[in-house]
Amino acid sequence: MIGVELVKMVRRPRTWVIIGMLVALPTLVAVLLAVTDLGPRPGTGPPFLSAVLSDGTLFPLAALGVVLPLFLPIAVSVLGGDAIAGETQSGTLRYLLARPVGRTHLLLAKLVTVVAFVVIAVLVVAAVSYVEGRLLLGQSPATGTVSLSGSTLTQEQLAGRTTLALGYVIVSMLGVAAVALFFSTLTTSSIGAALGTIGLLITSTVLLGLDAAEALHPFLPTRYWLSFVDLFRDPILWRDVVRGLGVQLGYLLVFSLAAWASFTTKDIDD
Amino acid sequence: MTARWLTVLLTADALVVTPLAVEARPTSQSSISATDLLDRIHNSGDVAWSGFVESSGALQVPDSESFANLAQLLGERNELRVWWRNARDWRVDRIRSTGETDLFRRGDTSIRWVFESETATISPVSQVRLPDASDLLPPTLGRSVLQGARDNELVRLPARRVAGVDAPGLRLTPTERAATVGHVDLWADPDTGLPLRVELYGLADQRPVVTTSLLELDLDRPAAETTEFTPSERTTVNYEDSVDVAAAANAFAPYDLPLSLGSLASRDGEDPDAVGVYGRGPTRLIALPLRDRVAEPLREQLQASTTAEETIVGTVAMVGPVGLLLTYHNGRGYFLLAGTVTAETLERAATDLLEVE
Amino acid sequence: MKPGAVNPGSVIRTRALTKRYGGLRAVDDIDLDVREGDVYGFLGANGSGKTTTVRMLLGLVLPTSGAVEVLGQPMPAARRTVLPQVGALVEGPGSYAHLSGRANLALLDASGPDRSPRSIRRTRIGEVLEQVGLDPADRRPTRAYSLGMRQRLGLAAALMRRPRLLVLDEPTNGLDPQGIQEIRLLLLRLNSLGTTIFLSSHLLAEIEQMCTRVGVLDRGRLVLQEQLDVLLRPTGLVAVRTADPSRCAVLLGDAVEVVEGDRLLVRADDPAALNAYLVGQGVRVAEVGPYRRDLEQVVLEAGSGERSDHQPLLRAVSRERSDHRPLRRAVP
Repeated sequence: MIGVELVKMVRRPRTWVIIGMLVALPTLVAVLLAVTDLGPRPGTGPPFLSAVLSDGTLFPLAALGVVLPLFLPIAVSVLGGDAIAGETQSGTLRYLLARPVGRTHLLLAKLVTVVAFVVIAVLVVAAVSYVEGRLLLGQSPATGTVSLSGSTLTQEQLAGRTTLALGYVIVSMLGVAAVALFFSTLTTSSIGAALGTIGLLITSTVLLGLDAAEALHPFLPTRYWLSFVDLFRDPILWRDVVRGLGVQLGYLLVFSLAAWASFTTKDIDD
Repeated sequence: MTARWLTVLLTADALVVTPLAVEARPTSQSSISATDLLDRIHNSGDVAWSGFVESSGALQVPDSESFANLAQLLGERNELRVWWRNARDWRVDRIRSTGETDLFRRGDTSIRWVFESETATISPVSQVRLPDASDLLPPTLGRSVLQGARDNELVRLPARRVAGVDAPGLRLTPTERAATVGHVDLWADPDTGLPLRVELYGLADQRPVVTTSLLELDLDRPAAETTEFTPSERTTVNYEDSVDVAAAANAFAPYDLPLSLGSLASRDGEDPDAVGVYGRGPTRLIALPLRDRVAEPLREQLQASTTAEETIVGTVAMVGPVGLLLTYHNGRGYFLLAGTVTAETLERAATDLLEVE
Repeated sequence: MKPGAVNPGSVIRTRALTKRYGGLRAVDDIDLDVREGDVYGFLGANGSGKTTTVRMLLGLVLPTSGAVEVLGQPMPAARRTVLPQVGALVEGPGSYAHLSGRANLALLDASGPDRSPRSIRRTRIGEVLEQVGLDPADRRPTRAYSLGMRQRLGLAAALMRRPRLLVLDEPTNGLDPQGIQEIRLLLLRLNSLGTTIFLSSHLLAEIEQMCTRVGVLDRGRLVLQEQLDVLLRPTGLVAVRTADPSRCAVLLGDAVEVVEGDRLLVRADDPAALNAYLVGQGVRVAEVGPYRRDLEQVVLEAGSGERSDHQPLLRAVSRERSDHRPLRRAVP
């Protein structure tokens, strides 16, 4: 079943349109930076973006920093929200369940598929922006890249930490995927499920800016998204990365369970 | 159906409540006396540790180039990573979501690294300087506010869990009339005396104006290479003679300040040069000559404050427990007097100062 | 497990099956009994609970109370063993709009727990597409399909795994008269090869023409369940159409049951003898023959037997029927 769902995802034109859009934004940023040679003022804008003019090898990270706060979660919400509601809308859900496909099994396959999408999207964005960084932006200095703490990272260290960062970004989307999947079991409208998820993420972002909600901050799904930056301090600051992993796994567990509770007891009468 | 939803609820509940419950488990109380604890704290300067500090302040100190990043330190939330080998070998990183500013200390040299501008500034450590991130750490701030503390100013507070340590507490209530700090609460590691959390209250405050606390603590001595800064080839390295304006003024301004000002004695007991630091414990006053081009914009900022007042000696403003006084031009230049002292003390200090000069 | 062992010959059996939505009893205490080899017509107006019942048979909707047994095993508990032997078309076909019909079938087949080997799958899909009248080489995405083509694709999906039981909800929706006839013949052929068919429809004509057994659902209640030939067996009456109805009625006396304009229903064993008698008496007979009730009347009577206000059932069924009269005429 997981294989079938993956085939469905890969054969769906929409998947590639979304990935194309995810790639388009960093590409635009790279072209603009290369043409104008004007980086954001140091300390402003997305992480690493001010550094890429002198070191193009950092551009994959800057690109992830650009798509992570908004584009990627929206894409995951759309795909996750479509998982069950989309099957209902196309009338295929009842035939899948009558085939029979176990409901828990179907949910699991959908979740794996959304995560697979995130992996593909992140890898494509990273690969394309790596090439763009090398071609359009500054060549990496022979001595290696400078960490946030001022020390020098060798090419191997940089590659290792970039891999960790990619993994972290993927994990950061697990919570979104599970929430979207849960909403998808509640409604017959995939747009509704996607909007519900995006609404939750916006709420989380707003609460993060509010000191009165400070007690909630450690539990908010978007709280640790940009903590992949901590992987480029020297020594690596694991504190928020570990917390981010915990929050995402927590959301994944709770909302997957909720999706399971909702879907396995649901009457399929649409 | 209900059983499944119950599973969901219980799981969510367990995930949220478990960490809170672990945090809220009762602390073990210590029988250590206030004086013993004070002794240990005084002797904790060379205790090696590393950890993560969060500080927050609500003081809107005027933003002026002469104050370096004082406004940030006292008015915002700061996250600091610390590696402390001893009092002359340490590193404090002030981290931000997209960068960091690091302070390295090796012997008599201090290095300041700013990621965003890729610059490292190397300067000698001076006796007199403005507060920086290293002064905001619970151990340094704790030892500083307890400097010269007297037994009748101290009471023990119940222990509290800080960074996983059951830390006995101490309250200092300054007896000096000049003091604007109502009291200071602090909690220290009972074994090493290392202060782990410090809360500073103004005279009438219910909530602390400055809080600094360790969130993670490791008492192993950090490796030597962590506190060492090796600039990369791309890093711009600047050398400066003084770490900040106070240090510069102290070295080059043509003044010689008295041993006491406004009835506050020199803090270290030595006769100051052009910049003086006075007072005891949490009562602290700095007197600092300013250049004309720095002084006049600062006066405008002070006057914009709602508490600003013009006196015969200068412009006075209170920012919470922090008082600032900028003197009028006395023929030779300007002086800034600032510290956790009352407006009245500031005026008397300014009067003393102008008489001497 | 041998499905026939528990209830020999029983393919679908429900006991006091009930589904409530809030206060509404969508399906109310019904006992279905479908036997091996039946073409079972499940008749009811729109909204009478047919689709909900079908969904409960397939384990899509969970009953509020009562039990369902399909192929001798309890549903939905045994759906992993039961459903692979069941082909279903529920409330219209469903397909992924961006894929071809063939790709859709391949994905559906691969989804189940008992996927067939690839080569068998390919030939099977080609076969069923041809069976339902779709071109197996058609590469167009199904979004380009007409309503009728989609319906055929839905049927193909139901037939793909050679099921023992076909559960079809309104299978001829959207088909033209030609298509309806093709599908009907296809289903009858499958039935003759041993497939049991459970056909849910609101079209009297469809049921009447295909089914061997009928269940009638009215507002969630099963008001009738019987073999069609029992329902429609000769009534012992002879229908006479004559230009002289009153003279005829006088002649036959007590034997006349009903007089309706120029038509009389007469109790008589032999229409030929009756005809000879009437003609001998000089009555102008236009038409004479054994009288059979049609299903509409049976349904009507069943409804009125249960309740006095049978009007909604009558209206729904009749209107649909009159809509389809032209179609019936096209059928040889």
